[in-house]
Amino acid sequence: MHAFYDLLRIPLIEMGRNGVLPEFFQYAFVINALLCSLLLGPVLGGVGTMVVTKRLAFFSQAVGQAALTGVALGILLGEPISAPYVSLFGFCILFGLLMNYTRNRTNMSTDTVIGVFLSVSLAMGACILLYVTGKVNMHVLDNILFGSVLTVNDTDMNVLLIISGLCLLIGIPLYNRMLLASFNPSLARVRGVNATLYDYIFILMITVLTVASLKIVGAVLVEALFIIPAAAARNVSRSMKGFFLYSMIIATASCILGIILPMQFEIPVPSGGAIILVASCFFALSVLIRASSTAFRGASA
Amino acid sequence: MTVPTNAMGPAIHFERVGLQLGGNCILSNVDFSVEPGTIHCIIGPNGGGKSSLVRCLLGQMPHTGTIRIGWGTGNVIGYVPQSLDFDRTLPMTVKDFMAMICQNRPAFCGLGRKYGPIVEHALKMVGMEGKRQRPFGALSGGERQRVLLAQGLIPKPDLLVLDEPGTGLDKAGASIMRDLLADLKERGVTILMIHHDLAEVRDMADSVTCINRNLVFSGEPEVELTPEKILNVFSPAGGTC
Repeated sequence: MHAFYDLLRIPLIEMGRNGVLPEFFQYAFVINALLCSLLLGPVLGGVGTMVVTKRLAFFSQAVGQAALTGVALGILLGEPISAPYVSLFGFCILFGLLMNYTRNRTNMSTDTVIGVFLSVSLAMGACILLYVTGKVNMHVLDNILFGSVLTVNDTDMNVLLIISGLCLLIGIPLYNRMLLASFNPSLARVRGVNATLYDYIFILMITVLTVASLKIVGAVLVEALFIIPAAAARNVSRSMKGFFLYSMIIATASCILGIILPMQFEIPVPSGGAIILVASCFFALSVLIRASSTAFRGASA
Repeated sequence: MTVPTNAMGPAIHFERVGLQLGGNCILSNVDFSVEPGTIHCIIGPNGGGKSSLVRCLLGQMPHTGTIRIGWGTGNVIGYVPQSLDFDRTLPMTVKDFMAMICQNRPAFCGLGRKYGPIVEHALKMVGMEGKRQRPFGALSGGERQRVLLAQGLIPKPDLLVLDEPGTGLDKAGASIMRDLLADLKERGVTILMIHHDLAEVRDMADSVTCINRNLVFSGEPEVELTPEKILNVFSPAGGTC
């Protein structure tokens, strides 16, 4: 894969050096981050429409926070601090599945179950971090919490490529079924859709995407990239087509602008924060459009 | 309008059906049969176990006893739920909703060539063909009920199960539904529905079953729906297990 990435990187780096593209294109890590954005944006934007429709915004927040504990566990178990993927995926998947299992078995409201699991995960993370603070520079954790384009390497890109590919392969054919499962489980079952199974598949999708996006957006903010573009798209759409398309465009544009703008204007901010702030501007714009346009008046009852 | 066919829906036999949930008795010893190609209504007071019985029939409840479906020429079940749990402000048109329900192609890609005419026809049958571009969440309760009925017609059902389809319907909507169900019955479809409007039940049902945890009565509406029986069922005293 390294050769393939170089095939994309080298011409762009050359163009950065020659002044055809802005100066920061001469750095490989910038190209890496932009390539990740082109993958991440459409996938998170698309899946975000389902997160918003299924009202699981708070869930993705909880998985993002669980990633911190996953990193702490990884360091404790001796994984490399820059890529503790085994612990990250292991803990977050376990966390997500257990949370969904508890919700299904107890019939508790989703926000209560998420609140409990979020607290437990943070408490575990805080305790484990105390043990690992001697082993690592705590500033490295900032990268996990808020994202950093500097740390994106070929391994991260491989992980993101595989996860995005899997999510597209699974998510697109099962899109309708996953939505229907949340509309009416009885109707879904009559139509041959096992609502419980599809809920688990969706939870797995959000979890692995969250982990794969950590390097770019960060654990604290990754959930925002599921929700804000979809929320903004919802404000300016009248159909599922517009909802999905605008969400993908806004998420991708937020990722790219969030990486490019701080470098262009030499503002030292974490990439995650910048990406989410750009997405928030799109959201604010969508609110203005919605509020001022007569086309959407009476569109919702 | 009616196209006579040799198709025949199933007969359904409920035999000593019981259901316990969380230590509470929901249904006990329910015994009755639904004849093929007829309209069979289930009535009863709130909390009497009507929806639970339907969910037992659909295989979604761990009931005791037996429910036998003697399939005729096909085995497609259409189900029209009472309501949906969704965000009313979702940008989803009636067409998107039908696409989500009926086809595998993602709803955001629009209706496929195969399902476009089928959905159009189903919406026309319920008098909603002019509102396919309307936001689904902005429909009135009665309009939404009609769309739910339309989705129950795709694919063509042999058994149609409806959970209080009359909720929110105005006179025009109720008339469309009555004509549609009569038409489906002519085609041999077995129709089982929960209904609250006893006048409607008397008008269109071939048979009626009253459930109040136990079976209260089952038979022809003209015979069973007497003022005394109705008063007895809908008085505050409930059934016991």
